[in-house]
Amino acid sequence: MSISHEFTCFSLHQSLFLLPAFSAKFLSEPLPWAPESLKVSINSTHQCLHLQWSVHNLAYHQELKMVFQIEISRIKTSNVIWVENYSTTVKGNQLLHWSWESQLPLECAKHFIRMRSAVDDATTPEQRFWSNWSSWEEVDVQNSLGHEPLFVFPKDKLVEEGSNVTICYVSRSQQNNISCYLEGVRMQGQQLDPNVSMFNLHNVAFIRETGTNIYCKVDRGDDIKGIVLFVSKILEEPKDFSCETRDFQTLSCTWDPGRDTGLLKQLPQSYTLFESFSGKKTLCKHKGWCNWQVAPESQEMYNFTLTAENYLRKRSVHILFNLTHRVHPMAPFNVLFKDVSVTNATMTWKVHSTGNYYTLLCQVELYGEGKVIQKHNVSVKVNGELVLSGLEPDTEYSAQVRCANANHFWKWSEWTRQNFTTVEAAPSEAPDVWRNVKSVQGYCVVTLFWKPLSRLQANGEILFYNIVVEDLDRPSGLQLLSVPAPANRTELTLDQRAYQIHVTANNSVGTSPASVLVVSGDPGDEEVEEERVKGTEDGFSLSWKPQPGNITGYIVEWCDRPRDPLCDLQWKHLGPNTTSTVISSDAFRPGVRYNFRIYGISTEMVPYLLEKKTGYSQELAPSDNPRVVMSNLTSHSFTLSWKDYSTESQPSFIRGYHVYLKSKAGQCHPGSEKAVLSDDSVCCKYKIDDPKQKMFVVGNLQPESFYEFLVTPYSAVGEGPHGAFTKVTTPDEYSPMLIRIILPMIFCILLIMILCYLKSQWMKEKCYPDIPDPYKSSVLSLIKSKENPRLTIMNIKDCVPDTIEVVNKHEGTGKSPTEPEAAKPTYLYLLPAEESYSGPGPCICFENFTYNQAASDSASCGHVPVPTKAPSQLGLLTSSENLLTALEKNCMNSLEEIPAGESSLNYVSQVASPVSGDKSSLPTNPPQPELCSEYKMQMAIPLGLAAPSSSGSSSLSSITLLDEGEHYH
Amino acid sequence: MDLRAGDSWGMLACLCAVLWHLPAVPALNRTGDPGPGPSIQKTYDLTRYLEHQLRSLAGTYLNYLGPPFNEPDFNPPRLGAETLPRATVNLDVWRSLNDKLRLTQNYEAYSHLLCYLRGLNRQAATAELRRSLAHFCTSLQGLLGSIAGVMAALGYPLPQPLPGTEPTWAPGPAHSDFLQKMDDFWLLKELQTWLWRSAKDFNRLKKKMQPPAAAVTLHLEAHGF
Repeated sequence: MSISHEFTCFSLHQSLFLLPAFSAKFLSEPLPWAPESLKVSINSTHQCLHLQWSVHNLAYHQELKMVFQIEISRIKTSNVIWVENYSTTVKGNQLLHWSWESQLPLECAKHFIRMRSAVDDATTPEQRFWSNWSSWEEVDVQNSLGHEPLFVFPKDKLVEEGSNVTICYVSRSQQNNISCYLEGVRMQGQQLDPNVSMFNLHNVAFIRETGTNIYCKVDRGDDIKGIVLFVSKILEEPKDFSCETRDFQTLSCTWDPGRDTGLLKQLPQSYTLFESFSGKKTLCKHKGWCNWQVAPESQEMYNFTLTAENYLRKRSVHILFNLTHRVHPMAPFNVLFKDVSVTNATMTWKVHSTGNYYTLLCQVELYGEGKVIQKHNVSVKVNGELVLSGLEPDTEYSAQVRCANANHFWKWSEWTRQNFTTVEAAPSEAPDVWRNVKSVQGYCVVTLFWKPLSRLQANGEILFYNIVVEDLDRPSGLQLLSVPAPANRTELTLDQRAYQIHVTANNSVGTSPASVLVVSGDPGDEEVEEERVKGTEDGFSLSWKPQPGNITGYIVEWCDRPRDPLCDLQWKHLGPNTTSTVISSDAFRPGVRYNFRIYGISTEMVPYLLEKKTGYSQELAPSDNPRVVMSNLTSHSFTLSWKDYSTESQPSFIRGYHVYLKSKAGQCHPGSEKAVLSDDSVCCKYKIDDPKQKMFVVGNLQPESFYEFLVTPYSAVGEGPHGAFTKVTTPDEYSPMLIRIILPMIFCILLIMILCYLKSQWMKEKCYPDIPDPYKSSVLSLIKSKENPRLTIMNIKDCVPDTIEVVNKHEGTGKSPTEPEAAKPTYLYLLPAEESYSGPGPCICFENFTYNQAASDSASCGHVPVPTKAPSQLGLLTSSENLLTALEKNCMNSLEEIPAGESSLNYVSQVASPVSGDKSSLPTNPPQPELCSEYKMQMAIPLGLAAPSSSGSSSLSSITLLDEGEHYH
Repeated sequence: MDLRAGDSWGMLACLCAVLWHLPAVPALNRTGDPGPGPSIQKTYDLTRYLEHQLRSLAGTYLNYLGPPFNEPDFNPPRLGAETLPRATVNLDVWRSLNDKLRLTQNYEAYSHLLCYLRGLNRQAATAELRRSLAHFCTSLQGLLGSIAGVMAALGYPLPQPLPGTEPTWAPGPAHSDFLQKMDDFWLLKELQTWLWRSAKDFNRLKKKMQPPAAAVTLHLEAHGF
């Protein structure tokens, strides 16, 4: 524990002087004025020990200057923690007091106090030695604490930020482990005795107004004890303390109070104002200002002390001043303007009375268009007056005035401001006029433009513009036109004669000078060549050739928005000696072409075009590619054209075009060069240097090849975008020829087919009749001509039937119809027997199956032998129709489908040779084949049954239904 | 203790609406006789609203006191808060409470707590905290009026405060600032416990009042008490 941490509570004298001489005499000399009746009391709240004692044997009237040496020990007497010599003058039996504040809470440890005395008086030098020590006085507060198990000290202490504080706890039980926390954080302490521990807090900081919570608790229990340490911010000295008066009745004192030191346990600091000359004092109600009533007896000097005070500290500041030097005048009032004319106005104002002894200096500021244009200083007693001159007509001004003490400047008053407007005058300048002339149906349509006069030129509000049109050929012909403001253009329709136009601007006061312009019928624009100029960010630098003769000036004309129909016509007047200028405008945009026309104005005020210029303020790369039309596509070339592409409306001067051609071959022909595009694709580039050439033939192409092309313009700053390529495939080289042949062929075939369809009946009869006509058969003619010219066609009417062959089939027997037993035909001989002999005479045998569809499908239908036992069926076959019907019925079925026992009839011509179905019964010498002609049917043959004809005859098919041996040739 | 900070201003309109409709509560308007059910329901709603409001207020106030009072697991012994009405009660005892006693205990508790809370408001150092406390006091006053309305509807007399027993919360000279903070902590905690209990009390009352037969039972019980 450091001794320096302890200090006395009141009347602190820390001059520790121990005289060696005194020490020497201390033990040997008797005690004349020793301290007696030493009593010690404590103040727990302030952790103070109060000592009270008297001096032994001091006479009632006696007065001595004495020194008391006080020793304080802690815990035990030998542990001295404080020694102090307290000097004071002692009177008679006076009780003496001394206090000491302990850094450690007094409850935390026993304290022992003793003292001794010595005379420190010049009148009694012989008494300069220490008395005996008094006996130790013990201070033990722990005994009076009560029986609670745990205590924490000091209770709710109030300290300043940065202080060092010692905390301790006293426990009634040694068994318990006790933990102490500062704002929830465990503290490490120092044990004083088994029941007491102390914690030193250094440089404590302000945390909150409700204080810093420190608490201890028993580890195994719910007992908790705590204290709140209130840490106050350090009270600051008031800053910027000053006082002033505005009306000589009240002094208003202000200061910056600094930070607030208020806590839950401590009110915020208070402020007291003390004036030493008058001895008056006032407690200020506010933190930062205070009012003081000026003494009626005209006190001029004031000496103020401002004291800030809280529980722990007191701070003061002083000011001394003369009241007249601290005058802060009130703002002037009743500011008026009178006699306001075109260029002058008189300003008057009043100031608050400050007595007759003071003169005020007033400052007047005149504002025009937001800027100070005039400043004046005026001395004022009561009323101020100032003439403001040099003003502009019809202009709004603002004037403000403030005042201060002229003799002892302290502070300006607040400004008082008032506005006024000067009266109008006639416009001073002629309007700037220009025209645009168009010829429409033999008339001149003249559009007159003028710029509004500036405020300084207009001298008031322009109400209308007067336009006088004077016919120069007929001086008497005047035309008057009045255009109300704020119009800045009008249109006149004039004939082809020359006219002089006067334009004037008018306000409520008068008319401006006239602006004169001559308009002639012939604009004369066509002969002038257009020249290109290069613009910059600052504008276009134009120059032209000086004109011989009398020129009154030049005019440069252009459009700010050339792409708009109204175009926003602009012009610039230039003097007669000027041959160059820079045209700049905020409206100029990059990539827009601006056209400039330079006119000369003759002395007769006739404008005539001198030069034309065109250019861009900044050229941009072309933004659009032309719309390309492809034509004349052949196998080796195609033609590209972009006639409708306007080079005038591009964002830069177009210098030509690039034609890119992509092909799979990747080879470039002469006239083109290889180019690598941004997507790393390689193509051929053709360059067209003439921007007027808007057609290009791409040649040297391969037939049936795929190509892609792109046409893009280029200028000085780059070329157009590499957008989508157009795809094209060259056609085959022969396809046009093929088309020329194939198409007519198809047409012819179609024609034939249509004809065939229309004449189908005729065709059928001619080519494939249902019943072939033997007379028409070509076979016949062929046979006739080559083999037997005597052959003829037999007429059916000439034939008499002689035999009917009855065929009776027995399918159920399972035997082949070709077997002799089952297929034995029965012949009914209708003619005499002798005639049945088929001799070697001429005979034609028919086997006509045309009427028997089924017969052709199955051999059984045609040549199944008729059973011999079936003559009973003869009666049914009374006519050929019945026979046919029966045959048809039977032969419609397939061979397997014919029921057992069902008979089939086969018609055999009467002229046919009697052929037996039995193979064995066939005659060994058959009739001569040349004598018989076998007529076969013409019909569709099932593939399974018919073999293709080997003869390849185009008209007849010979169908073999039986074995070869069964046929006669 | 589960006290959370939050914004209570949003619920001010709700409280105003409840208070505005208090005169229309059937329990207070004896001319119409729809029974005390609606007024019990409104009192229950007000209790839940105050519970929500207190969560926000307690969070702010305990932060103002500083650690350990704003620590979630801080649970000190109830030393100096013996004068506070206790909300905790044995469950069987709570079940056996009749309606009159139940309502009387609620009324008395909130009368005391409101008084203590006003004392808390006077000590508060910051204007913002004073505003919040004053707002909550107004709400609590509304709850007290609502309970009085229910008691009146059921025909129970309001408990009369005994003369000279007006609860005070002013710390004595020996009362340390730390103990004062403990008392403030316990006041807020007890208030929250009371609001929880009241919600259960009024929920129980509400259920009893809902069926018509229950109203007859209550009537008889009231006469019997």
